Amino acid sequence: MSKATLPRNTTRQAEGLQYGDVARTLHRFSGAAIIVFVLVHVIVQAVRQVPMFAALNAGAPWLQTMQEQNWIHAILFFCIAFHTLYGLKLLAGELGFTIRYQTAFWGIVGVSALFGLREVLRYAGI
Amino acid sequence: MTKTEVFTEHVDVLIAGSGAAGMRAAIAAHDAGAKVVLLAKGPRRANHTRMSGGRYNAVSGFNPADSTDAFFRDTVDSGVGINNYPLTRILADEAMDRAYDLESYGLAWDRTEIKKYYMSMTGGGTFVRTLGSIDEGIGITEVMLHQLHKRGIRICDFHMLADVVQDDSGRVTGGLALDLSKGAWRYFSAGAVVIATGGTSQLYETSSGPAINTGDGIAIALRAGAELVDIEFMQFIPISFVYPPSARGYTLIEPAHYGMRHFDPKAEPAHLLNTKGERFVLKHDPVRREGSTRDILARAIMLEILEGRGTPEGGVLMHPDPQVFDAFLKERPIYIKRLLENYGEGHARLQEPIQVTPSALYTLGGVRIDPWCRCNVPGLLVSGEAAGGVHGANRLGGSSMPDIQVFGRRAGIAAAEDAREYAGGGAAQLDKARARAAALEACMQRNDGVRPPDIKKRIQKLMWDHVGLVRSGAKLTETLAAFRSLREHVLPTVKVTNKSRVLNREWMEFLELENLLDIGEAMAASSLQRPETRGAHYRTDFPALDSNWTANLIVRRHAGQLQVEKKAVVTLEKAVPAREKIAGAIA
Amino acid sequence: MPTDIKMRAEIRRYDPSVDAEPHYETFEVAGQDNWRVLDVIRSIYERQAGDLAYQFACRVGRCGTCAVKVNGVPVLACQERCKPEMKIEPLTPFPVLRDLVVDRSEIEARYEQHAYAPQRKTEYAGGPEPIDPLLAEDLCHKGSCLACMVCVSGCPAVEERAFDGPAFMLKLRHMAEHPADSGNRLEQAIDAGMLECFGCDLCTQLCPADLSPAQAIRDFRRDMIFGGSKKHE
Repeated sequence: MSKATLPRNTTRQAEGLQYGDVARTLHRFSGAAIIVFVLVHVIVQAVRQVPMFAALNAGAPWLQTMQEQNWIHAILFFCIAFHTLYGLKLLAGELGFTIRYQTAFWGIVGVSALFGLREVLRYAGI
Repeated sequence: MTKTEVFTEHVDVLIAGSGAAGMRAAIAAHDAGAKVVLLAKGPRRANHTRMSGGRYNAVSGFNPADSTDAFFRDTVDSGVGINNYPLTRILADEAMDRAYDLESYGLAWDRTEIKKYYMSMTGGGTFVRTLGSIDEGIGITEVMLHQLHKRGIRICDFHMLADVVQDDSGRVTGGLALDLSKGAWRYFSAGAVVIATGGTSQLYETSSGPAINTGDGIAIALRAGAELVDIEFMQFIPISFVYPPSARGYTLIEPAHYGMRHFDPKAEPAHLLNTKGERFVLKHDPVRREGSTRDILARAIMLEILEGRGTPEGGVLMHPDPQVFDAFLKERPIYIKRLLENYGEGHARLQEPIQVTPSALYTLGGVRIDPWCRCNVPGLLVSGEAAGGVHGANRLGGSSMPDIQVFGRRAGIAAAEDAREYAGGGAAQLDKARARAAALEACMQRNDGVRPPDIKKRIQKLMWDHVGLVRSGAKLTETLAAFRSLREHVLPTVKVTNKSRVLNREWMEFLELENLLDIGEAMAASSLQRPETRGAHYRTDFPALDSNWTANLIVRRHAGQLQVEKKAVVTLEKAVPAREKIAGAIA
Repeated sequence: MPTDIKMRAEIRRYDPSVDAEPHYETFEVAGQDNWRVLDVIRSIYERQAGDLAYQFACRVGRCGTCAVKVNGVPVLACQERCKPEMKIEPLTPFPVLRDLVVDRSEIEARYEQHAYAPQRKTEYAGGPEPIDPLLAEDLCHKGSCLACMVCVSGCPAVEERAFDGPAFMLKLRHMAEHPADSGNRLEQAIDAGMLECFGCDLCTQLCPADLSPAQAIRDFRRDMIFGGSKKHE
């Protein structure tokens, strides 16, 4: 019996996950998150050098609270991983390496989630 | 009362119909120097050619056993001898040149080698000769549209041809069209009008064609005094989808394609079984079996269903041969996709029985034309499914594609010539156009009455039941009376739900109703006059072929009455030489 | 065997010639679970709203003229399966003629402008053109683009940037790969905003003809980077 791939069944287009939409939104969100993080990081580190804001060196409470939230780090690392991997996927496509969008999406989200999970585990001491 | 506003403009050649016949006519007329406007009833890609599998019968030279004589003979055999022989001869002779035209437009015919076309078999033909391309009718219509764009030919979407206007001598002076997107009337005064509006499949409850094919052009020609030929012959495709409702009736081509007969004329086609598991086709055609012609197969299936041996959904079962799957998938991936989506994976892989039912496909008759697509009304030309005579009593699968190219081109060349010679026209007949437009506004003024879709359904049911695959004198007479009653008592009471002029579907259907009734009556009246069974025409009260009836029935409307006349078949010896085209005309 | 189900369809109604703004009308429809959205729309026209404006012709996914948005996703009405709850709207971003019918004039103008007929350097010589059978297959796959505009409607880049749309890029690629065409299709594609493509593959997912405009764009971009075909020189 032939095992040839059948054409797709495209009668449920409005029901499934709109991969491209989600990927693009995530890419945009993660890019924004990275920019925000880098900005905050750079500004705080620069401002710390100024004597007037020496209090930051002692570890201002709000900074402390933020650094204790595992989810911020988890999301941050997810964003960095997702943005990088998805960006690499786009680049690979332009160079001639085409990957199925479903495989690429779940693979990249999965790996990025692992990075996020790693942060959660690290906070938990594992 | 305010006069109905009608916007006017003048063109050389006005073409109604955006299928391949209309587009090919536009290309030819333009290349011959005419100013052309093409009217499409809806968006331009909405036409029957688009839906076609794109199989193209032609003698390419790649099968040394084949010849244009053999193609001609096959067509006349399939047509059971009542074809218009000169037209059939032209089809056989010119099909390949038109196939090369399509190649020049950018269509890539399927190949086995870089310069060798792939050919397949079609039900009823003797030799393997059918070309095809994987993009099917979609590919054909797209490359042709781009040729129209290249030439800057104006295409008016949503313009439904409502009627042609004639001067007192009967010469056509232009076409009255309704711009459905605005609800505005337009009169195109023209040197020649080409009708390429397709067939009448929408006359039937179960059909394979697009929603717009309500026989408009044929009815318009009839009203203008044109003669129709073979209008009683309607081809039904034997197998089509049973569900979902939107896909019901859409052709599944022929059982020959689902078995090894696809490649070899002597091999097995797919088997057709009724609910008792019997191969009922063997009763009707023991030699060719399910590889028989469409008329025999469709009738066989219909009789099984009518006699109670069909499925609850009104079908029979086709058992395909899974060995053909790889080739089928390669050649016709779109069909496999539809089988998958409408039926299921097993069916798409040709491993499970596929439920099928017959469906109205192709109008074999139509307006009577000469080899240059002129009819008996001066200034009016007809080509494609709207014209009759090329295929006779039954059409070979794969012969419609070359028909529309060959005769589309001829119509365009002849129309350009007619336009060049015509001095009249202009706004002279504007009053007639206005009067007709005013009459067609009637339903917009009424506040009470019947909605067009309800009447359309009644007509479609009457046609399917009594003027379809299985006919009888009694039922035909009954149907004619029913049509008369609809015309006299119901049509004048049609109203629309909303008086909005923009895209008023009920208004469009009101215009269609008159066309459906005109053609339905012509079909029933003509069928009543043919006391025999031949090709697609089956009478239960005259189930045998009658050699005295190797003739054509000509239908004409005179003073509001239908006249049906028997005429001898136009054979090659008897052919009256058609007006030759002027030397120097190109395309 | 299909089963009977009840559905609710919310349809966007708008007549620009009389309405100040669009409104949604909800219809209860009794049908079967294998119905398509087009079957639902036709049922509403036949039984409930005789003034509904909608477009279809072939009803089997070949003419591409019935495209609408269902629950926010552009689809072919005749192909998309019905659902218990459906919000049916005209295809964005095209101007609405009435209700579910859009004006395709600009679309056709774009097709004309891109000149998708093969631009030949030498006259067609007659007879079969020398085309590799596998290439012919690929050309035909691209040739089966319906021009339905589902991909253009779903494309996020079309929404945000000056980009003609995926369908036009696919047809440009069709011509670029056709041996008889000598036009500089890559340059045309770039002029039409090809570089704005996000590579999201939504067009590939939504295409009812199983085509990938995104892949056509990737092929063009690869040619742009590495030099590609020199047919047009």
